[in-house]
Amino acid sequence: MTHTNHRQGTLESLSKDYVVFMYAASGFNDKNVGPKLQEFLQLGLKYHPVNIGSPRVGNRFTVSPEELVEGVVKEKKAYLVFDDKERAGAFVKDVVKADLGVSVIVSGLFREADRMCQAAGIKRHTAQCSLGVWGKVERLSRQSEILDITTMCGHGMVSFNLVRRMADDVRKRRLSPEKAAGIIAKPCVCGVFNPKRAEELLSQYIASSPGG
Amino acid sequence: MRVDKARCVGCLECVCYCPVGAIKEFPQEERVFIDEEECVECGCCLRVGICEYDALWQPELSWPRIIRAEFSDPCLVHPSTSVTGRGTEETKTNDVTGRYPRGYVGIAAELGRPGTGTWMRDIERVAQAIIPLGVELVSDNPTYNLFEDPGKGKIKEDIRGEKVLSAILEFKTTVARAPQVLKALDKVAREVDTVISVDVASMLEPDGSLPAEDVAAEAGFKLRPNGKSNLGLGRPRAKILEGGKR
Repeated sequence: MTHTNHRQGTLESLSKDYVVFMYAASGFNDKNVGPKLQEFLQLGLKYHPVNIGSPRVGNRFTVSPEELVEGVVKEKKAYLVFDDKERAGAFVKDVVKADLGVSVIVSGLFREADRMCQAAGIKRHTAQCSLGVWGKVERLSRQSEILDITTMCGHGMVSFNLVRRMADDVRKRRLSPEKAAGIIAKPCVCGVFNPKRAEELLSQYIASSPGG
Repeated sequence: MRVDKARCVGCLECVCYCPVGAIKEFPQEERVFIDEEECVECGCCLRVGICEYDALWQPELSWPRIIRAEFSDPCLVHPSTSVTGRGTEETKTNDVTGRYPRGYVGIAAELGRPGTGTWMRDIERVAQAIIPLGVELVSDNPTYNLFEDPGKGKIKEDIRGEKVLSAILEFKTTVARAPQVLKALDKVAREVDTVISVDVASMLEPDGSLPAEDVAAEAGFKLRPNGKSNLGLGRPRAKILEGGKR
């Protein structure tokens, strides 16, 4: 009951992070949903998402958009990530108009999801809200930028150590921030990781800890 | 996961990919090994294809160790839910399934997230603190099947020694009872050896207000500004019976 729900970050950073996805309900509308997922992805690709994916098919860093569209025919869900609320909102408008009959979810700032719905002439149905991290939080990384990056993979496939290693490679000019963000995005098989946001956060992390 | 010691050259390139730090370096040998106690069988190191020498390999997993993969590998379809990974449909399909109908809230406690992992004993401890409050433990959730007796929150004996990347305890309760559940969750969260990502979900009221927000405020917690919004575009819609049953 989580996945993209616990993305951490400042309001400014989260305002550049929207996951729009389609999810078929098992036993209700998951039979032969493949063509609808394909249509959903094709509608979204027009708006230049920064990542796309489906867990058993791959993400932008492991498969091409064409391979993903072809591969989701046997799947039940597909994800697109936008770093811009206008493009995400325009996509939502198209999806509402297409009326595919399958659940669609916007993960991001609630106020923006609300605006997107208003612009598309609909009202949100259900909302799921994070109450943050409880328990033994001292076991987490102390650098907020690292957690802001790793929590973009809801399945926890992006390790704290991978982010530290990539930051080190950028500091030593072995990699550009863009290339490093792409490497960090790869383990997130669903494609919900936002590499553009990761690039910014990585640069902030490096600036705040120049010696590593 | 295993490392073929004849193939490993000790380049250490794979080490940073492990979400739980289970790939370790042998102190006096130029190679790595997998700490099997800590490894949650998520398959991440193998899937990213980082090893140029094909030294990483996945042995076939049997019960009870396969529990680790079922709760940690996002590419596996969980046998209990037909959903990939340890997640559930929750809010994502609530417009169709009516999982959390009006008057109810869903509460999820994901133990081990972010980046820490969790042992079965912690899942049991949290479940046993919440279940007596009269909540309904959601059954179409992979974690439900870890219990010998879901009504008592007792974990099956033969999986007690297993560790997973995370597991989601998902409850459904009435709006009226939910603040008490959150307070109890807050209390038990301080007693376990892991982190817990907590969330609360509900349908929006016709006037746009969100009962989940009131529940959190009454319990003394603040919601984050971001999360998931189901747009209500799915069909057909489940018929909700009296008492919130589907």
